[in-house]
Amino acid sequence: MTINSAELPTPKMSASSAGKPTGFSLPRMLLNIVLAFWAALVVFPMLWLLYTSFKTDKEIFFSPWSLPAALQWDNYVRGWVDAHIGDYFLNSFIVVLPSLALILGLSAMTAYVLARFPFPGNRIIFYGFMAGMLFPVFLALIPLFFLVKDLGMLNSFPGLILVYTAYSLPFSVFFLTGFFKTLPSELHEAAIIDGANQFQVFFRVMLPLAQPGLLSIGIFNFLGMWNQYLLPLVLMSDAKHYVLTQGLAYMLHQQYYQNDWSALFAAVSMIMIPTLLVYSIFQSQIQKGITVGALKG
Amino acid sequence: MSSVTFEHVYKRFGDVVAVNDLSIEVEDKEFLVFVGPSGCGKTTSLRLLAGLEEISDGQILIGDRIVNDVPPKDRDIAMVFQSYALYPHMSVYDNMAFGLKLRKTPKSQIDERVKVAAGLLGIEQLLDRKPKQLSGGQRQRVAVGRAIVREPAVFLFDEPLSNLDAKLRVETRANISKLHKRLATTFIYVTHDQVEAMTMASRIAVMKDGILQQIDSPQDLYDNPANVFVGGFIGSPSMNFFDATLVESDGKLEINTGGFRLEVPAEKAKEWRAFAGKPVIFGIRPEDIHAKQFAPPNILESDMDAKVDVTELMGNEIFLYLMSKDNKQFIARVDPRVRVSNDDKIDLAVNMANAHIFDPKTETSLA
Repeated sequence: MTINSAELPTPKMSASSAGKPTGFSLPRMLLNIVLAFWAALVVFPMLWLLYTSFKTDKEIFFSPWSLPAALQWDNYVRGWVDAHIGDYFLNSFIVVLPSLALILGLSAMTAYVLARFPFPGNRIIFYGFMAGMLFPVFLALIPLFFLVKDLGMLNSFPGLILVYTAYSLPFSVFFLTGFFKTLPSELHEAAIIDGANQFQVFFRVMLPLAQPGLLSIGIFNFLGMWNQYLLPLVLMSDAKHYVLTQGLAYMLHQQYYQNDWSALFAAVSMIMIPTLLVYSIFQSQIQKGITVGALKG
Repeated sequence: MSSVTFEHVYKRFGDVVAVNDLSIEVEDKEFLVFVGPSGCGKTTSLRLLAGLEEISDGQILIGDRIVNDVPPKDRDIAMVFQSYALYPHMSVYDNMAFGLKLRKTPKSQIDERVKVAAGLLGIEQLLDRKPKQLSGGQRQRVAVGRAIVREPAVFLFDEPLSNLDAKLRVETRANISKLHKRLATTFIYVTHDQVEAMTMASRIAVMKDGILQQIDSPQDLYDNPANVFVGGFIGSPSMNFFDATLVESDGKLEINTGGFRLEVPAEKAKEWRAFAGKPVIFGIRPEDIHAKQFAPPNILESDMDAKVDVTELMGNEIFLYLMSKDNKQFIARVDPRVRVSNDDKIDLAVNMANAHIFDPKTETSLA
């Protein structure tokens, strides 16, 4: 999927500016200057990080702004192997992918039932999930720690997966309930008359139609969990099980004792890649998802 | 192929009675059209038959089988929805094959049935497309195709033409009639459009407020409306109604509306004499009011005059909006050769053979 600029919503221009797009207009120029400045502000640190990751430690300290004299690929090797970024990557995937699968599966089924079937208690369950959204994770941290500890799941991947799943369900259910409500009920009825049972209606008709919603919620959750720091910090104290965010913090602390800034820069660059990829591939989807949530959620 | 029977069927939504004591027998291979204004219970009746709603009371039979508790998929019916309800993520072929696949029909048979149905509807070249790549008319045909491949005993149509433009609607109307002849299966069709009902149905069931008003062949319904509602609903422009009294003087029977008096010809007077001296609702269709000058021969003519309020030229006819002396407006459909302007007085010839009288209290037909 490539990003086609024609598909992206373009802001509506006023009649006068739309009528003569090539003409000079002071407000427009000011706007462009501000936007260009903003873009530079966002892009430059990333570029700086990227090219700095190819420099030697010496270059970093003595000419922080200059381009690397020679590309130090070795930084990446040290970051990946010695600083265990590879392990952290693996750990993050081990936690995030099953969580994502669980969240999508469970929230889609829950949301479908809540959106489609009126039954006594339907609203209570729905508002129960909503309440989960209102509850700040900081407040739950200590009880959560003891709960996971009592379950014997501290320092285990399944423990963190369960917590991630539970933590993400409220918003996902809320979002997808709104989404399922927008699907026409005639489709459900047509499938029933065609001979489908409720499971077939869900898996063969409704779920494929909910794909845009699932994709949106999947992306949001992926980014959220990939960047999650607080929960693993509390629940994963064993360095072997560190996820990326923890690994990064760990490396940062290490810099106080052993100076390998170039490897740190390389590691940070590598960590950025999945997030950047997700953002650039699904850019239009993310925008669409935000609108769906805002208008129909 | 199957008959369908509604026996004292009720559907209540809370306090609202959507279908009230509906009893209809639809014969095998019949084309029955439910017609009525929105909220009259026609769609609910269809959904009860489809099994999409549970009936509150009474029973529904398809063939000899009571289907009250039979799930929709086992009722041997297929339905075409107003919105077509095509599965957007499936190709036309898969849309049509979906029901058969769920029933584990052998692949070769699915393929054959889909191809035959597609040929019948002229959509063979669209089988690989997705619904969103189709025009409204094509979607409608796919929806019909999806019903045909199932080879059901009863076809249900829920306002299938209301999303089409006027020209396509006329075309599709004829195609559905042809399809009915070709498939020789029971069709039950819901519409709010009386023209659709009149043109396609073998019988029409007119509903209002959940109650069946009349069920009859289109012509009988038109000629002999059971009550004021049916008289007004069927036919366009609709029937003119006047509060009137039947007056008998010197052995002659007259309709007196206060705004005009019409002599009742002897043939009609035989039927109507029993109500002499009583208040009635007098009903006359616009096409039975002629300009006297162009009145056709062989009608039971009775003369009156009125003032022209508005004229609408249609080309093949003129709609005259007329005003009686007591300022009551009514419509006449007259010969296009009539030359009148607004506020002119015009002499009219009313064909009393097609006039109706209704009871003012119950609004049911008296004769």
